Amino acid sequence: MRKIRILLADDHKLIRGGLRLLVEQQADLTVVGEANDGRETVSLAKSLKPDVIVMDIGMPNLNGIEAALQITQANPEIAVVMLSMHSDESYVLRALKSGAKGYLLKDSAESDLIKAVHAVADGKSFFSPAVSKVLLDDYVRKLKRSGAEDAYDLLTPREREILQLVAEGKSNKDVANLLNLSVYTVETHRSNIMEKLNLRGIPELILFAVRRGIIS
Amino acid sequence: MPSFSKSAEPALPRTSRDEDPVYQQHSKKLRRLLLISFSWLLALLICAGVDALLAVRRLDRASQEVSRRFTARNQALAVIIVSVRIYDDQIERFLLQDQLQDPVPDPAEVTRQIAAARAAVLSFPSDRDSDEQVLLVAMQQQLQEGESSCATVLAWRADLRRQRAYQFISQQLIPWRTRIFELSAQISALDERKLALENLTVAERFQSLESRLVWLVSLALIAGVLMSLVCGWYILRLERQARQRYQALARSRLDLESLSARLVEAQEEERRSISRELHDEVGQSLGALLVEVGQLSKLVPPEDRVTRAQIAQIKSVAETAVKSIRDIALLLRPPMLDDLGLVPALEWQAREISRRSDMEVEVHSENVSEALGDETKVTIYRLVQEALNNAATHAAAKNAKVTIAQNSNKITVRIADDGHGFDPGRQRGMGILGMEERVRRLGGILAIESAPGKGATVKAELPLRTADSPLTGHEPAMSQP
Repeated sequence: MRKIRILLADDHKLIRGGLRLLVEQQADLTVVGEANDGRETVSLAKSLKPDVIVMDIGMPNLNGIEAALQITQANPEIAVVMLSMHSDESYVLRALKSGAKGYLLKDSAESDLIKAVHAVADGKSFFSPAVSKVLLDDYVRKLKRSGAEDAYDLLTPREREILQLVAEGKSNKDVANLLNLSVYTVETHRSNIMEKLNLRGIPELILFAVRRGIIS
Repeated sequence: MPSFSKSAEPALPRTSRDEDPVYQQHSKKLRRLLLISFSWLLALLICAGVDALLAVRRLDRASQEVSRRFTARNQALAVIIVSVRIYDDQIERFLLQDQLQDPVPDPAEVTRQIAAARAAVLSFPSDRDSDEQVLLVAMQQQLQEGESSCATVLAWRADLRRQRAYQFISQQLIPWRTRIFELSAQISALDERKLALENLTVAERFQSLESRLVWLVSLALIAGVLMSLVCGWYILRLERQARQRYQALARSRLDLESLSARLVEAQEEERRSISRELHDEVGQSLGALLVEVGQLSKLVPPEDRVTRAQIAQIKSVAETAVKSIRDIALLLRPPMLDDLGLVPALEWQAREISRRSDMEVEVHSENVSEALGDETKVTIYRLVQEALNNAATHAAAKNAKVTIAQNSNKITVRIADDGHGFDPGRQRGMGILGMEERVRRLGGILAIESAPGKGATVKAELPLRTADSPLTGHEPAMSQP
């Protein structure tokens, strides 16, 4: 079986060492390189072509978000897992917009890193459970204080199904095949979902899905 | 530093001299001297006036007295002459009563005329000098003589009268009369001379009064001019001092402003460096520690519950430490500004406050550029932080709205809350001062609208500076290129 090749990017050697230790305990994972800053990560990604990059958001010389943007634009097949201290939606949204597939809190790196690497290598998204909780708490608090109703309740069961599949990274065609619908119908459902939830773009949709615990 | 007028250079030492206690004492002395001088001048003028008034009154009285006495003498002389003339006429008629048909005068009347003349002599004013006295005594003798001869003549019978009348008239009466008139002319001349003399005295006294007055007035005038000069000089000096103090004040205010601007800068820089230290050194070490502890716990067999529990305890302590370090670092210098840009950082802050307090914050932004200067970003961030903190902690607001909009040459930030408000004219805490300082430093305007019970709106307009100089030169480039 082919091992999943991983590039570690963090400006702190200690953290990189810890991550390497975690990864190398797994038989199917291997660390192919370590980068010290954003620029080095971009160039190593180009030369090493790893399967997964585990990258810190806050790095000198090009931060993680900018680096992820450049990497995923040049090599969409590389899955990026963002390592961050922050569970706030500003960060999560920016990470998603930069093309990251996973968002891992440093606190929980030790327990979730392996899961995250496997998930993104498999083409799925991964978010630290603490992130979903914070996002959901913020959402619920806001609804409660403003007295507005939860837009998720407005979705039909079919729409919820499609929301989950799209958030998981499936294309319209995949969804159509899975649910036995026409691509056109899926597209209509999708635009209805976006309108009901007042969302702009896939990153916001994924964020919403994470918030509601639809995906993890 | 605005350029001051040409006196700017020497202003500082002079100002310090003004604050010198010796100099102050000198000033006090000068003031006292001026006060005393003015009192003296005033006293001098009053004295001169009173003196002149009294002297004039005295002179007036003296001159009246002189003329009164002259009139009295003249009158007495006139009485003497008239009485003597009447007496003379009556004696003549008495003697010639047999030749003429004129009515015969009453002898008692004749005697009364001579007595009237004598009384007139006695009525002469008492201030007689020796010459006058001699003349008056002579006059008195003549009158006595006349009286006695009158008594003799009146006693004559008709034959005796006819016989001696002409002889008596030509040899006694006429010469006597002439002597009386001569004497009275002499007395009159003497009186005239005396009057002239006394008038001269009065004139002399008047002249001396005049010269004294001239002297006093000149003295007062000179003193007045001197004092005006001193006062003028003193006023000029005060004006100069006031100007210098104003300049010094303006300069020190300017210094204070630049100092507080530097303070804000230094504070921001310090926060940034502490935050970075905390995050980079302590935070990362703790993060690594957590990873190691996780590894360690995997090495412990599940049966060893005591060790596992201890490891879990270590992990929980380390996690708490990580969290508090992160909170402190975030408060000091949120990395969001560098990592995400202004608007996401503001949104983060809004959610952070919503989580911590009972206030829900909304953020609206309109075409805010991601390439804002670092100083502008930090200023807006701190402004919003301060305003939201005030709203949540002091005003007990339930909702707040942050609006940030950018157009071609400025960026406008508005933070409105529905709290219980305050009177911005009276309540100005350090927070508001700090906001004003930050905004002014970038050449912007801060306006606060609030009234008790009406919520508060903080509005700032910052000029857009495309090439903001970064706060520090050695900042690692974590922000977007």
